[in-house]
Amino acid sequence: MTNDEPLRPDPDALLADARRQGRGRLKVFLGMAPGVGKTFEMLSDGKRRAEDGVDVVVGVVETHGRKETESLLDGLQVLPRHPVQYREHQLMEFDIDGALTRKPRLLLVDEYAHSNAPGSRHLKRWQDVEELLGAGIDVWTTLNVQHLESLVDVVWKITGVRVRETVPDGLLATADEIELVDLTPEELRERLYAGKVYMPETARLASDNFFKIENLTALREMALRRAAKTVDDQLVGAMRRQGIVGPWAAGERILVLIAGDAAAVSLVRAGRRLADQMMDAPWTVAHVERPNKPAGDARSARWLADAFKAAEQLNGNTIVLTGDDVPDTVLEYARRNNVTQIVVGQSRDPFWRILAGRSLGHALLRSSAGAALHFVSVGAPEPAAMEPTLVRRRRITDGGGYLGALILVGASSGAAALLDRYSRGSDLGMIFLAGVLITGLAWGLRPALAAAALSIGIYNFFFLAPRFSFVIGHASDVFTFAIFIAVAGAAGWLTGRVRDQARLSSRRASAVTALLAASRRLSGVATGQETARALAEQASAAAAGRAVVLLAEGEDLRLSASAPVDVTLSTAEMTAARWAWDKREPAGAGTGTLPQLSWTFRPLIGVRGRAGVAGVEMDPRSGVDEQRLVSALLEQGAVALERAELAAAAVENEALRRSDKLRGALLNSISHDLRTPLSTVMGSATTLIDYDATLRSEVRADLLISIREEAERLNRYVGNLLDMTRLEGGALKTRSEWTDVRDVLASAIKRIERRLGGRSLTRDFPAHLTAVQLDPGLLEQAVVNILENAIEYCPDDLPIEVAVYEDRANVVISIEDDGPGIPKVDIERIFEKFRRLEEPSDRNRGERKGAGLGLSIAKGFIEAMGGRIAAASPIHGPRGTRILISLKKPA
Amino acid sequence: MSPHRPRILVIDDEPQIHRFLGPALEAAGYEPIRADNAAQGLAAIASRAPDAVILDLGLPDMDGKDALLRARAFYTGPIVILSARDMETEKIDALDAGADDYVEKPFNVGEFLARLRVALRHRLNQQGAPAVVETGDLRIDLVKRLVTRAGQAVRLSPREYDLLARLVEGGGRVLTHRQLLTAVWGPANVDDVQYLRVFIGHLRQKLEADPSSPKHLTTESGVGYRFVAD
Repeated sequence: MTNDEPLRPDPDALLADARRQGRGRLKVFLGMAPGVGKTFEMLSDGKRRAEDGVDVVVGVVETHGRKETESLLDGLQVLPRHPVQYREHQLMEFDIDGALTRKPRLLLVDEYAHSNAPGSRHLKRWQDVEELLGAGIDVWTTLNVQHLESLVDVVWKITGVRVRETVPDGLLATADEIELVDLTPEELRERLYAGKVYMPETARLASDNFFKIENLTALREMALRRAAKTVDDQLVGAMRRQGIVGPWAAGERILVLIAGDAAAVSLVRAGRRLADQMMDAPWTVAHVERPNKPAGDARSARWLADAFKAAEQLNGNTIVLTGDDVPDTVLEYARRNNVTQIVVGQSRDPFWRILAGRSLGHALLRSSAGAALHFVSVGAPEPAAMEPTLVRRRRITDGGGYLGALILVGASSGAAALLDRYSRGSDLGMIFLAGVLITGLAWGLRPALAAAALSIGIYNFFFLAPRFSFVIGHASDVFTFAIFIAVAGAAGWLTGRVRDQARLSSRRASAVTALLAASRRLSGVATGQETARALAEQASAAAAGRAVVLLAEGEDLRLSASAPVDVTLSTAEMTAARWAWDKREPAGAGTGTLPQLSWTFRPLIGVRGRAGVAGVEMDPRSGVDEQRLVSALLEQGAVALERAELAAAAVENEALRRSDKLRGALLNSISHDLRTPLSTVMGSATTLIDYDATLRSEVRADLLISIREEAERLNRYVGNLLDMTRLEGGALKTRSEWTDVRDVLASAIKRIERRLGGRSLTRDFPAHLTAVQLDPGLLEQAVVNILENAIEYCPDDLPIEVAVYEDRANVVISIEDDGPGIPKVDIERIFEKFRRLEEPSDRNRGERKGAGLGLSIAKGFIEAMGGRIAAASPIHGPRGTRILISLKKPA
Repeated sequence: MSPHRPRILVIDDEPQIHRFLGPALEAAGYEPIRADNAAQGLAAIASRAPDAVILDLGLPDMDGKDALLRARAFYTGPIVILSARDMETEKIDALDAGADDYVEKPFNVGEFLARLRVALRHRLNQQGAPAVVETGDLRIDLVKRLVTRAGQAVRLSPREYDLLARLVEGGGRVLTHRQLLTAVWGPANVDDVQYLRVFIGHLRQKLEADPSSPKHLTTESGVGYRFVAD
């Protein structure tokens, strides 16, 4: 910061502060070893608070039967424990749901590093505490320094005890308060001998070792330093929040290099410790992937994954670099990112590499200008389960290669024997060399070397003087043999490289192809349900296991799609899914929450928020590549789901808009179609009243007729509205009686006869017609509506034709007019309600009478009777409309 | 029957309307001219020079408002709107676009003819506007700018007088809020309808026998005001 710039608070510090808003406060009672009195101290402090009127509840406390400690519990509310069944034991565990429901102001939770019984919601108690803090509850807890993640290796080296229950260091840094409970090592040993320190049976054996004065002194130092550092961190944090310039991290950046081996996690912890020493300098854990080297087996993939996970828990960054030359790649990265400290493991390179100065450490040493190098010696790797399947597979491949080598060498020998018989003195070595070369190219390094060795033996024994002896006759033969080995090595190495590269690129290509296919599939679907199904199928294919997608339904999650289709989730699995949804964090296998499940549930978080939850049951043998593919897929899926949701909302809006428009059209229709005839009635009537004397008699008669006609028109319109309402409301009752359709047509024509005007109406009825079962009233009304429509659209002098005929299954009514016809685009829509009124302008509004209900009602009636109705236009050249009604004949 | 029968052009696409309006107009001493769409109507305005035009807003070939604007480009006679639409905004738009009055369907023929007479008289008055309007005990002298009620001078503020004068000059036509505000307060105040309400209220207090049920200064809800002489 320069002087002329005002000092601003550090945004990161403020952000961390804001994140803390609404969270409970965490206080840790830190001690160097069991027995220093952390629990006692916590309880007595808690009791004082309770006496001050604070709502204090004891969540879980291990008194180990000690009287002084137990007496402190008097007067404090203690939460009952929650039984968890594990195999044949019933374990009494801390009841996190009980605590969340009780929601005290302050909760005392002993043993921060405790591992919960399998089957609990969280693997570790510190995760329970995180959830409690998240719910706004203040928590006090106790912790021994050896349980800190980054100190595990150090503690192991000092005391020989490997601590399995660990707490990420980052958590201690977020603690709002740390109280160091201190005791001198001598005092602690006295307490130990007095039997005041409880040790579980299993640890008793190690305890003599553990409680040595030297060990305790070392642990005490660690505890003191850690407490001091936290106080320091809090001071620095406070200064940064207020924009005070202070002596923090002077541009140190740490890079930790790991490989896929057992030492990776230890290196990560070493990096964290270094970062601590450098005022919390930013640190990054990097792994270099070499495209030309085969990816490691599943075991090394797991080591890498564990190391990366540990790095994240310890607040470190992670990155995977790609490059064939590891030192170059690392140094390039270091230069670009101003790395000042590089941490590497003690070299486990083959001795010849070290001799040749080709080890990673040496290469870095030679060229790491500016960056300090830290070599960390790594102890014996932790025992890890072998991977039987993979090992077996490899042996089978190699076996095939060796068999091939044997056959090829045999063939070479045969060819050499033949050649030797017919043409003595030729260079038979070349034939063997060819066999070795082919073996190398076909099966790689090891079979090639085997072929070379075998060839040397056979060639020397059978073909080189002295024959039938392994004695080497000429010095030059040694040279020939060396060439055999060299060719085998070169060919085998080359082939291996090519094959690995091909395998790698095909694996990458298949991942990319899978992603592309998924993206195409996901972009092709429209609804959320389809998207969920597509996503489940793609995820299942990518994970080589079962997959589900859950979408929110109201307050709860619903299983929306699964692959295969018949997957059901157990209660525990649903709990994990809900957890993932609520907390926006993964749950289930491979996570800290309900890890005993075989499923992993991940929230699908899109651009705008949560879209759902995806569950995947990964094949346990799957590697990093598959997991990455699944993650990428789920990210795509989240966005696709979100898009589907938006699309659905848009459709809903459109439907609403249309229904609004329809309502508007209905109101317009009523206002126009009721008022126009009313105008005539009223206008004619008032004309008659006001000017009766001056009107000629024929004018008077005409006005009276127009009053009647318009009243009828009004009545028809009201009738239509009522019919429509009956159809819409589902109140339509159809009778069913044997009917002669010709009678119905005749009475319909009679009803509209007077309105025909100058139009001629022709009938084409057959002499015999099969009777059909229907509601004659509804059919008549439908026909009347169609005829009225024809009259309205048809100029005065044009003919209308009504015909009826029958085909094999139906009686068909055909009503044709010779009017202007209906444009192609509208023919589909003529049976829609208020069709005419939905037109963009109401220019045509006054042109015709009726609200466009007639045909829609006709369709409704015909279909209610099980018939069908269709329209065709134009039918006579450019003109004419034909409406067909087909009614099913009795079977 | 007078020697000159005023020609009234009726533009409406409903034959039923012509069917009774034609005889009614004839019976009232006018000569009706029938047009079934806007094109026919505009042609008839140009060729027959009608004394007044009755225009339906819902026409098959052109929106009634467009027809009104086209007619106004070359025709200055009274235009009365017939409309089945009862949206205030449409009436206001039509009046602002130059219509003289509007009648809602369905309508009473007697009332319709009275409106038509007002429109015709107003046009005649424009040539030689009466300086003095007398109705009941109210006397408004537009030349001397003097208003008396039962012989007593009524004190009006300049704004009140301007507003009253505009309404009286309207000769019984409805004047829209916009027209009144533009004329009295200026174009910047066309949206300040509350001014109008206040000033109309004052005028009614001073001029009406019963200000709560005004006889002369009547409200056209949502549209404007008109001055009605007995």
